Amino acid sequence: MRNYENLVIVKPTLTAEEIQASVKAIEEVITSNGGEIIATSPMGMRKLAYPIEKNERGFYHVIYSSIAPSAITEIERRFRINEELLRFVTIKYDTNREIAAFNGMVEKAKKAAEAPAKVETPAVEEAPTEVQTEAPAVETAAPAATEAAAE
Amino acid sequence: MAEKRKYKKRYCKYCEAKVDFMDYKDAGALRFSLSERYKIMPRRLTGNCKRHQDMISIVIKRARAAALVPYTVTRKQVVVAPFENLK
Repeated sequence: MRNYENLVIVKPTLTAEEIQASVKAIEEVITSNGGEIIATSPMGMRKLAYPIEKNERGFYHVIYSSIAPSAITEIERRFRINEELLRFVTIKYDTNREIAAFNGMVEKAKKAAEAPAKVETPAVEEAPTEVQTEAPAVETAAPAATEAAAE
Repeated sequence: MAEKRKYKKRYCKYCEAKVDFMDYKDAGALRFSLSERYKIMPRRLTGNCKRHQDMISIVIKRARAAALVPYTVTRKQVVVAPFENLK
């Protein structure tokens, strides 16, 4: 098993629910091929540097996972078939230095995933102080996606 | 005889910061080694060392594939503020 990072850009024309559904389907492709998802971090809807298939924007989603190297070709084949994907980038983290960086990014992603969850679950009184201090930039993008899904 | 250098030869910024790994998703950090037309800046102008230049060129190419950094910029787009989509 080797550490990989999959960046996926989903079509912006879909509704928020459809985007979440397709992201889930993408994650399922990885798990069904023997991959193990370690962390995910939605980067949210953002402007593309150049139009892809006449789309100016795209929903970025990053999946950190450990996958058997032989399964990568199959996963990429499935990604290529998926029409809801504009683009995907798979990156291998192999050397010691890269793995250290990978673990750092995974922890960051996990923290970012926990932060909005904290805000939702405990009492509303605690929330404002925590949000201002702990969660800076990622906060703005992440809850927008989760709230949209909830609605 | 020798032509005067237009740019001062500088130390490697990344060595100074002891950068071991660059993340292609952090497009703002790549800006230093990109020209205003988003070409990769040569080492003689930025002062990057060979090791970090190799790293940054790989990372920039990844970011281009992920549509975080443009491949080319037309004349019209050059005027627009770069990385305006970033906060």
